[in-house]
Amino acid sequence: MTGPTAALALDRVSRWYGNVVAVNDVSFALGPGITGLLGPNGAGKTTILHMLAGLLRPSAGRVAVGGQVAWRNPAVYREVGLVPEREAVHAFLTGRAFVEMAARLQRLPDPRAAAAKAIATVDLEAVADRAVGTYSKGMRQRVKIAGALVHEPPILLLDEPFNGMDPRQRLHMIGLLRSMADAGRAILFSSHILEEVERLADGILVIHAGRLAAAGDFREIRRLMTDRPHTFTVRSSDDRRLAAAFMAQPAVFGTDLRDGHLTVRVAEFRGFTQAVARVARGAGVSLFEVAPTDDSLESVFAYLVNRR
Amino acid sequence: MTAFVEIAMVTLRAMLGRRRTLLMLLLAAIPIVVGLLIRANGRPGPVDVGAVLDGIVIRVVLPLVALVFGTAALGSELEDGTAVHILTKPIRRSTIVLAKVAVAGSLTAAMLVPSTLLAGVLIARPGSDPIPATTAIAVGVLVGSLLYAAIFVTLSIVTSRGLLLGLGYALIWEGILAGLLPGSQVFSVREYVRGIAETLEPSSIESIVGSSAIAYAAIALVATSVIASLRLAVYEVRGSD
Repeated sequence: MTGPTAALALDRVSRWYGNVVAVNDVSFALGPGITGLLGPNGAGKTTILHMLAGLLRPSAGRVAVGGQVAWRNPAVYREVGLVPEREAVHAFLTGRAFVEMAARLQRLPDPRAAAAKAIATVDLEAVADRAVGTYSKGMRQRVKIAGALVHEPPILLLDEPFNGMDPRQRLHMIGLLRSMADAGRAILFSSHILEEVERLADGILVIHAGRLAAAGDFREIRRLMTDRPHTFTVRSSDDRRLAAAFMAQPAVFGTDLRDGHLTVRVAEFRGFTQAVARVARGAGVSLFEVAPTDDSLESVFAYLVNRR
Repeated sequence: MTAFVEIAMVTLRAMLGRRRTLLMLLLAAIPIVVGLLIRANGRPGPVDVGAVLDGIVIRVVLPLVALVFGTAALGSELEDGTAVHILTKPIRRSTIVLAKVAVAGSLTAAMLVPSTLLAGVLIARPGSDPIPATTAIAVGVLVGSLLYAAIFVTLSIVTSRGLLLGLGYALIWEGILAGLLPGSQVFSVREYVRGIAETLEPSSIESIVGSSAIAYAAIALVATSVIASLRLAVYEVRGSD
């Protein structure tokens, strides 16, 4: 998927606020299917989604949605539905009134029927005639989705759609987005939670500090994430002997004995975790604890960025 | 047209549901209270209806009420994020602006036109017919409501400090400077309101711009609405990152 045929395309896009660079020279092109925009908070995910939704002007580069320039072009909203992260919906409107308003603003021929269909899609019929102000966070998220898909757009953008949802609501949302993708839609959703993206997305874009750290198939990126160099802390019955045994392993870069425990730097996660018990047994040492020290998502993202 | 009505109805409900409407009703009641006080004190001397309504309604209450409604109509929705649901629809930005101006202006007028009429009748000398002068001023207030609303809606798009800057403009420019600087009246809404009233009923109030006020007000209304639409077209929604 490239160029004007892509549903969503960023071509060397940057966006800065004064001296702060929020998005830095990012390019990608997406077609139908579900893509997860993964990154820690403040990485630039919302900025990218807002540029795709025509709500922010790119400082440099080109942002296209369905082949059209997104900025200053309200016509793209026939093709796009945006579910913003902020919950803001007028509290006095009923869910149905909110979705019907969206349908009328889209100039649909039968707004009432379109709204009823969208409300059924997000499974909100039971509370559709209650004021949005009385909704739970999950219900509000769903009513916003109903409003965004009432005109059945081929492209759907969702900013942190799982925030505030309980596990059951998450499952329902995953099923909902899956069925919409199966119907041929291009769906891009942002998340800072790896497992959410893993469960839902076909493709993945990893954003860190405004840069595209990785893009492509989820399994490939998962492998990159797990196969990167890791540091483990190890406690055992004889740290010194274990350190010597580890140093004979090709996957181990170095060991360090300090503060009463052993630190081991390894080339890749899986190889070490598979070998550690065998090596300890061979050295006649009992293992008490093996823990990765830098497995935060932040360090994973930093690694992916520096790798490029 | 559907989009205009749709946006106007939701805006109206959002505005009426707030405590601010009650506060604005109290503000709009001030001219009536003044009228009652004048009447209760037995009107010691001849009171000039035009001067009293100018001093209270045109100079103070009208810009303040329009400021609150004008900055709330769109500005508060841009602030709290509810505007995103309207901005991400295939509708002309001018439709959004006109709907917001219409609601803010109509609400301001709905409060201040009756208040002006009632206060005028209360203030008038016994035996005199206050209706022509008061009606003329009320028509000026009606036009002024729409124009102020357009200015404050525009201000709320241009800056997130619309209420503060608008207050400064209303009090300093309209309240003081525009009356002092020669030639500045051409750029004063207060002067347009007075000019319209004078054109309709020469005895109601004196103005400097006279009947040109109608043309000035029309130009100002169109110009501010165009500026607001252009600014809304490039309005940027800032996210959390």
